[in-house]
Amino acid sequence: MGDTDAFNKLELELRRGVVVLATLSQLRMPRYGYELRQVLADRGMPIEEGTLYPLLRRLETQGVLKSEWKIEDGPPRRYYSLNGDGRKLLKKLTESWQGMNDAMGRLLKED
Amino acid sequence: MNVNDLIEAYVTDVAVQLPRRQRNDVAFELRALLGEELQAKAQASGRVVDAAMTTDLLRDFGHPDVVAARYRPVLTIIDPVDGYTFVRATVVGLAIIWGAGLLKEVLQPVESGSDLIMALARWWLGTVISSLWWPGVLVSYFAIAAWVRRRWPSTGEWKPRSRYQVTGGRTSMVLAMVGITLGLLVLIDPRGALELFFGTQLAPVAYDALTYTGSFRQLQGPILFVVLLLNIPLMVGVVASGRWSASLRRFELALEVMVCVVMLWTVLDGPVFIAAVSDKFVKVAMLLIIASVLITRGIRLYRRVMPAPDGRVQVHG
Repeated sequence: MGDTDAFNKLELELRRGVVVLATLSQLRMPRYGYELRQVLADRGMPIEEGTLYPLLRRLETQGVLKSEWKIEDGPPRRYYSLNGDGRKLLKKLTESWQGMNDAMGRLLKED
Repeated sequence: MNVNDLIEAYVTDVAVQLPRRQRNDVAFELRALLGEELQAKAQASGRVVDAAMTTDLLRDFGHPDVVAARYRPVLTIIDPVDGYTFVRATVVGLAIIWGAGLLKEVLQPVESGSDLIMALARWWLGTVISSLWWPGVLVSYFAIAAWVRRRWPSTGEWKPRSRYQVTGGRTSMVLAMVGITLGLLVLIDPRGALELFFGTQLAPVAYDALTYTGSFRQLQGPILFVVLLLNIPLMVGVVASGRWSASLRRFELALEVMVCVVMLWTVLDGPVFIAAVSDKFVKVAMLLIIASVLITRGIRLYRRVMPAPDGRVQVHG
């Protein structure tokens, strides 16, 4: 019971750390909220809707995303994509992530 | 409520907590997104959208307060780093205020059950309820500290502090020496000190108020004077070396113990001044000094760190 709780909390911490990077990585092209969530889920990174949709607005407020309302095939939808600062941020975060991932790979490799 | 009503109610509860400039836009987007989520859920389960399914979806989405908070940058009033200090300061401060208030009520004569109930009611209204200013002051203090730390990060940098460092440096110690010397001069002859400053212009009662009783002048007075006088060599030692040392700290502790014992003896033994009002005043002052020394020592003891392994150390090899 205690182990499960600890695992859930720690896994949540891990996921929190990568949610922003995962989101930015899929916004090199414009996507609307639901579409983005589907893409992330299809690629193995499901993010709860109550977390993802507010996150898009926060990232826009922080100045790394741009957005606009568009009508394509359906109702009006707000499309988000990286702006210049967002692309730079994604590049830096990707490098950090790859560095950490390599290090973790070495650390977790059984002797 | 039907499906649309549920979604409208949810969206409104979220959006109303957002800044006016983004409220309507977020509401419009959120409503559309929830609609798409709902359609996808219905499709996946092979059911028709209904109120129960909508309610489940909205509950999974999160409480409107939580979701609204996620739309905005995190607002931290008290930094997590200050969390435990804040709780400790709140609890200790309230315990002191409530305890002092209770003591004040208990010291009043209580002759019946109704007197006791009245005393407790006075304590509740006059002390407990009004003590809420204390957490308010602490919240303000820690909020300002958090803001300063974010605004000027260098102010929050750790600076090494030795337990032997002199707070305020040599200057503060010299000022303390001057203060104690003046205090000792007043202690020798408070009536004379008053005459020195005001001559004989004041009412006779003012001079009488600062006249020692014979017993204090002969017994506790000289002892108290000597004990306080010993602070001078202590401070000279600190000023000369520019820092405290273990032996100076021990000397300081011994002096504090002596001061407390002599003051307590003075308070309990008999009148210090002939006039009752000034006698009561000086005894309250002495009790406050004793309390201050004990509290300071208690805090130091509580904050003491003595590195040692918790349990036995196994030796290999």
